[in-house]
Amino acid sequence: MRTFSKSQPLSLVLLGGSLGSMVIFEEVLKLLTSPPDCALIFILHRGKSSTALLPDLFRRKTGVVMIEPDHLEEIRSAHVYFALPDCHLLIGPDRRFYYDLSDKDFFSRPSIDAAFVSAAVSGIPVKAAFLFSGSSPDGAFGMRVLAEKGFATYVLDPAEAESPRMPEEAIKLYHGHRLINRANFTRIINDIIYSNGV
Amino acid sequence: MNLLEYPDLEVLIMQIRNASGFDFSGYARPSLLRRASRYLTKNKLTLPQLISHLEPESDIVFDLMQEMTVNYSEMFRDPDFFIGVKSEVFTYLESYPGLRFWVAGCASGEEAFSLAILLKECGYLNRSLIYATDLNNKVLTAAREGVFTLSNVRTFSENYLLAHGQNSLSDYYHVSYNKAVISREIRKNIVFSLHDLTGDGVFNEFQFISCRNVMIYFTLELRQRVFRLLYESLSMLGFLCLGKRETLRYSGIEQNFRVVDTVLNIYQKIK
Ligand SMILES: C[S@@+](CC[C@H](N)C(=O)[O-])C[C@H]1O[C@@H](n2cnc3c(N)ncnc32)[C@H](O)[C@@H]1O
Repeated sequence: MRTFSKSQPLSLVLLGGSLGSMVIFEEVLKLLTSPPDCALIFILHRGKSSTALLPDLFRRKTGVVMIEPDHLEEIRSAHVYFALPDCHLLIGPDRRFYYDLSDKDFFSRPSIDAAFVSAAVSGIPVKAAFLFSGSSPDGAFGMRVLAEKGFATYVLDPAEAESPRMPEEAIKLYHGHRLINRANFTRIINDIIYSNGV
Repeated sequence: MNLLEYPDLEVLIMQIRNASGFDFSGYARPSLLRRASRYLTKNKLTLPQLISHLEPESDIVFDLMQEMTVNYSEMFRDPDFFIGVKSEVFTYLESYPGLRFWVAGCASGEEAFSLAILLKECGYLNRSLIYATDLNNKVLTAAREGVFTLSNVRTFSENYLLAHGQNSLSDYYHVSYNKAVISREIRKNIVFSLHDLTGDGVFNEFQFISCRNVMIYFTLELRQRVFRLLYESLSMLGFLCLGKRETLRYSGIEQNFRVVDTVLNIYQKIK
């Protein structure tokens, strides 16, 4: 396998969601007043033809780089990335993004499982992974794999999710996820993305 | 769900090479890992079980290879691409007496048929020859037959309309035994043949090469080699088209091309 420079420290924070997660993502993006101490990767289910709404909406307001990465682009700390619609976003062991156009998972592309599993096996440290609201079981398997690798995993309390199926399935598949709620999630995420080290 | 790790994948790649002669080592690992994991899950196998079944020439080797080389395609896939080709590429081709097109990684012919229909509607088909190649014999056999299920054709028809097709897609196929058969008129200027982008060389010079959704599965290094081959196969001022999620970034030949359309990934060779 290819060698790559380990000189630039890199850790990931993963956030996944579907129906009802957009508002939460917006709140997280509002926290970004300065570059985070990690690469922040958002995987949101969205329609095939939806435009680059998220980055456009927030790019102007903060000094933080927010992009939909190119295929093979190097993953950089202090950057915020969004998965494009209609393709899977995978995280490679060579610290690059890879797109994949193969089958959907649970009718979804991008799939949260595909991204989270690829991150879990990439060898890149994952500071934390979050799963919010949605009506599909996508993400549950990826969250379990991450948790079993010893990474911190947080699931939105299904009672507070606009669409509870996604967090419910994750908890069913693995009991050890930490629950977050609408009152505390911004503080928890803020502490994680601005903390030093993993 | 099965979870494979990268060292497992390297073992699998080696076993496939031993059993089939095909070498996946130039293929992007993250995608391969996902494909292989899904294959195990779908077939309820563990990695050791799969490996014990991988005997030379066995069905399972071909089945697995099929899964790992993603053959999915559609006619008029990404409809705006075809609108762009018509408006931004075809105008340049007017002056050529004869035109050669190459669809590299053509799967079951969907893209080649789409291109032929587009050329027909623009009046270029009679002076065009389309070479459509793939490394997978099974999909090439299907391509030569030009037969699709009616449910696939429904999707293709929607795409065709979105691509501003001038007629109805059904003008280009007939239905026989509940299948759609692409008409002879559309097929007659297409040559389907076996070509491995990673091993075989230049075989002709083209005014237009479309290699969409193929190199996305290659490693950075292999991709650069294949880009070189495509570059050498293009005539000066010829066009190169890539898939929706692919760009010339990291190709090693960025300098030799002009960007015709950044969104549709259409490029023109300028040196
Ligand atoms: C996803 S399909 C793309 C089909 C079509 N171009 C499209 O965009 O819909 C990828 C095709 O590339 C072929 N392929 C993979 N590796 C190849 C290689 N080394 N040489 C030639 N074709 C290859 C596969 O067999 C498959 O049919």
